[in-house]
Amino acid sequence: MVNVSRRILVETKNLLREPPPGISATPDEDNCRYFHVIMAGPAGSPYEGGLFRLELFLPENYPLYPPSVRFLTKIYHPNIDKLGRICLDILKDQWSPALQIRTVLLSIQALLGSPNPDDPLANDVAKMWKNNEIEAIMRAKEWTQAYATDE
Amino acid sequence: MGGCWCKQKNEDTDPYVPQSCNNHAADVPYFQSSPTIASTYYVENQEKGNVDSDTVDSLVLETLGVIGALVDNEQEPPPSMMRLHNIADNEEGWIQVVKSMVKVIPMSDPLGPSVITLLLDDCPLPSRESVLRVAQMFNLSSSSAIAGRTNAPRERNICVVLGCIAEKLAGPSSLGILNEGTLDYLLTNLNTDTDPYVILFSLIALEKFAQTSENKATIIRRLEQEEPCPITTLEVWKNEDHYVRRQVGFCAQWALDNLFVMNHRKYSFLTVEMAHINAMLNTSDVSEYLKISPDGLEARCDAYSFESVRCTAQADEGSWYYEVMIITPGVMQIGWATKNSNYLNHEGYGIGDDKFSLAYDGCRRLIWYNAKSEPQSLPRWQSGDILGCLLDLDTQQIIFSVNGMSLPPCTHVFTMAKTGFFAAASFMSFQQCRFNFGAEPFKHPPSQQYSTFNNSASLRPENKVVMPRHIFLEQLRQQSVREDSCTLCYDQRASVKLLPCEHSGFCKTCASQLTDCPMCRAPFSEILEENNP
Repeated sequence: MVNVSRRILVETKNLLREPPPGISATPDEDNCRYFHVIMAGPAGSPYEGGLFRLELFLPENYPLYPPSVRFLTKIYHPNIDKLGRICLDILKDQWSPALQIRTVLLSIQALLGSPNPDDPLANDVAKMWKNNEIEAIMRAKEWTQAYATDE
Repeated sequence: MGGCWCKQKNEDTDPYVPQSCNNHAADVPYFQSSPTIASTYYVENQEKGNVDSDTVDSLVLETLGVIGALVDNEQEPPPSMMRLHNIADNEEGWIQVVKSMVKVIPMSDPLGPSVITLLLDDCPLPSRESVLRVAQMFNLSSSSAIAGRTNAPRERNICVVLGCIAEKLAGPSSLGILNEGTLDYLLTNLNTDTDPYVILFSLIALEKFAQTSENKATIIRRLEQEEPCPITTLEVWKNEDHYVRRQVGFCAQWALDNLFVMNHRKYSFLTVEMAHINAMLNTSDVSEYLKISPDGLEARCDAYSFESVRCTAQADEGSWYYEVMIITPGVMQIGWATKNSNYLNHEGYGIGDDKFSLAYDGCRRLIWYNAKSEPQSLPRWQSGDILGCLLDLDTQQIIFSVNGMSLPPCTHVFTMAKTGFFAAASFMSFQQCRFNFGAEPFKHPPSQQYSTFNNSASLRPENKVVMPRHIFLEQLRQQSVREDSCTLCYDQRASVKLLPCEHSGFCKTCASQLTDCPMCRAPFSEILEENNP
């Protein structure tokens, strides 16, 4: 019947029962491959105090292929572009079917804690990060205040 | 290919499609000359401040004019579209883009609604304030719906925009927009006196608002108060020959089965007559969002992705024929595919976009194979046209026809596969068609001998059921997971070990789809079956 795998159901159950710290992932009511994610900015990072919304989608051939994940809240980060797309190896060539929604979200949270301007997706942000890190961190904090603290 | 034209693709193929828009210009009343407005600007520059509304109007029309000519995901989006993205980057600009789309997109262009969703989908997300301002600007209410009957294109465009915002901003913002005025407006539009296009997109907007569960509860409460339920009244249109009303009927039925479940109503899958059906669209071989009719023969996409499906029956030798009635004249890629063809609906890849499928798209008038297209000379398809799909495995050719007029034979796909073909199709947003696998007489049967799936195949009664997803999921949830199940699918028993790394915990089916070990990422050379005690 409708192709929803048991793998997705099991992962969903576990996510709801034991959510990873600072992250909530709720399946969409009508589409259990689509998750509404809210992620708290990690302590000690310029994103601390922010709550970021993301969407996570499990493609047809998940877990052979990685989930697609995107930030919906605007964020100033060298590895996340204007459309919210994330540059992270495990979402691309380093994906393994042994990884799960939980591990993916934890990796994204870790990426917020350690931006990597040497592998940039948002070029202007990465440039700023390399040339003037203090200013970049300030801006990341401002954006967190402006876009990630309203609800 | 369909869908997201602006997303970058990494494919090292050479597009050999002419990239001009001259095979399209005749259908576009505006901008028959080459685009000039956009190209006078350096589009990389952010446009700050206000752009006057006439310019934005023209850019929207220009985008509409060129979008049907875009066939390649690698292509740069048209300059007009990039400029609109830049304009929409600030809040005032975003509101102006929405205003212009509502004002200028005509009813007649089959790609109109798709262009609205494409533009909004690729624009930066608006803030909640701008969205609420747009909602206020339209001043939606029951009386605005009635007054709007004199300007159906505008009302239809408003409904498309509302649906798009509801989907993009599911959650608190979607709740904020669906206030009493908006709900009154959408429900008043469902009155049968309204233009059927406006009814259709009001229904779709309600569906998208219902993705936020509180909205869904509110809508159901309102529907229950009205007697008779307006959606039930529309459901009877599902078999009409008026193709827009027919779409309304399809969507009404789908909504009542899947979303707005009414107490007194029986689910369609319990009442539909299936005795004569031996082949249909396969409900376990379909991408996530495609809507399939209770008899399994009609399909529709209202998502913003490129949705695909294969049929239940397989062709391995001889000649096979099926027909498709085109209900919406937009982008669909219909043809033949083996099981090796993948649906990458969110990337805009479907049937005809890999080496194991071949399809015809009669809107852009292209044959698709391996994500490359070849222009064809038949006229653009229209609602009611019959697409014929003939597969001859003896002579290894596929011949498409529209209303009995054949295209030249296609042979590309047979270098990769000679057996195991299924009827298959992909749908862009708001597209719909109906399949005939032989349960009814064909309109334009080919002159050569052929078999039909409906005469040759069979289906067990339990496999003829197109069950609403929520009912199916409820059944699935009630089953539990075994201790020794495969760590990848949790479905079958873990029974194999990979060599040489010796990692285990996988079933045979999963292991056979892998090349590298999921645990250590090392390539493996052998799958050893372990004999459990």
